[in-house]
Amino acid sequence: MLENPILNDIATLAKPALFNIYFALASIPVGFPLAVLLAVGKCQRSRWLRWPSSAFVYAFRGSPLFIQFFMVYSVMLSFNLSHWKPMGIDWLVMHPLFIGPVVLVANTSAYAAEIFYGALRAVPKGQIEAAQALGMSRWRVFRSVSWPQALRLAWPAYTNELVFLFHATTLVYFTLPVINEQKDLMNKAGELFERDYNAVLHYSVAALYFLVISIVIFRFAAWYHTRLNRHLAPAERPPAPSFKPRYLR
Amino acid sequence: MLESFLTFLGQYLPDSLMASLHYLTSGKHLAWYASLRYTLGAALLGAALAVLFGLAGAAMKSARFAPLRAIGHIYTTMVRGVPDVLFFLFFPLAFEQAVEYFFAQRLCSADELAAAGSWPPCQAAQWYLGTTEYFILACVSLGLVYGAFAANVIHGAMQSVPAGQIEAARAYGFSDRQVFWRFRVRQMWVYALPGLSNVWMLLLKATSLLSLLQIADIVQWAERLGAPNYLARVGPVHPDWRWKYYMALFVFYILLTMLSEWFFRKLQARAGRGILSQS
Repeated sequence: MLENPILNDIATLAKPALFNIYFALASIPVGFPLAVLLAVGKCQRSRWLRWPSSAFVYAFRGSPLFIQFFMVYSVMLSFNLSHWKPMGIDWLVMHPLFIGPVVLVANTSAYAAEIFYGALRAVPKGQIEAAQALGMSRWRVFRSVSWPQALRLAWPAYTNELVFLFHATTLVYFTLPVINEQKDLMNKAGELFERDYNAVLHYSVAALYFLVISIVIFRFAAWYHTRLNRHLAPAERPPAPSFKPRYLR
Repeated sequence: MLESFLTFLGQYLPDSLMASLHYLTSGKHLAWYASLRYTLGAALLGAALAVLFGLAGAAMKSARFAPLRAIGHIYTTMVRGVPDVLFFLFFPLAFEQAVEYFFAQRLCSADELAAAGSWPPCQAAQWYLGTTEYFILACVSLGLVYGAFAANVIHGAMQSVPAGQIEAARAYGFSDRQVFWRFRVRQMWVYALPGLSNVWMLLLKATSLLSLLQIADIVQWAERLGAPNYLARVGPVHPDWRWKYYMALFVFYILLTMLSEWFFRKLQARAGRGILSQS
């Protein structure tokens, strides 16, 4: 083991950090398309499409993630003996590494859908009408006109959501069973704390991991933001997402 | 009183409904409803503290004294990189340890302090935290975390106060401090309200974490009540009903969100009279 307690902690917490990263990385690829679908659903005129997506978004934005984890896990548990075990899939669907991303996907897609919905509505109406007048199909209008613009508008806010999602991964193992050594940053920091009662050291190192990964997310988002807006002169580009808080109101 | 009310209802309602009414008014269930006071109390107290910390943070951010400004910046930036749960757990622990350290220096012998194996060094310095202490610490840490969010909002809102008003105040000879507190802070609320309502929503949802600090709040009671229940006298009362209880909490929080949205809409309409064109 290393001599320096800080380096020692950094080494010990490296593997737990992978669990947080796994939860975030497993949720984003599913959460993003689902969010786009929900946002498009919210924009529809048909009540049968609009109402369910709005209700889903409202419910998962309006309730704590902590409760959502408990709720989904206990619902899954109540189906375990009657359904999952006979089907032979209980080892998969009852596993925290599966349920964790499922709940995170539901949560993040609701938050992101609200962001994309706002952005889709902010696309100038004249552009949509012009595209329609050119004879574009509805899919074509969405693909070439509304969506590219909406993504650009939504990107800074979506970046915040990505960081919040990464932070939300701390809640997984507070609510779902911890299996053997599968511990995330907060679990491991708590375990280290119970060994030598050095709260400041262990929680600071855990915080450091979150800080560094958050900064990496912001950096990546800023790079992609520039890419999205590469058709604009640098001076005309909207401000890129940055770690420094923006004065939102 | 509850008993007589139930007897009264029993004359009119079918037995099956009465059975569930009796179940839902058992002593444990009443304790569950009573534990709401922690959730709502923490939300209100935490929000009050968050506004205070937010004002302090925003004031520090626009302070002229550079170190103060740096503290303000670090305070408001930290929450962007570190999860709220970490702060929420760390602050009470750190505070407890700081107090214990203070007492250990006075109460423990030098040998015990040097031994440094367990915490605290000696029994006399142990500070036993009860629910009340944990509740207060939880409120303060909620206030600290969401105060940082509120500071960002308030700082932004203060920039939105029309420059003409500030200039007019200066022209009337108000000092910098007077301009800050009597004009900027006085006038920024309307611009801060939408942001503060978002912070309130975050804070409200964070109150579900109280059980992490050993407070028997609604989440913990839901867990206890929903767990498979067996009474020696009656046999099994119900199987694992936790999903029902958690669903009730899920719906409860959604209703709280609806209520808050309605409240902030009204507040915004009232605060924005004569200032905001569309409110």
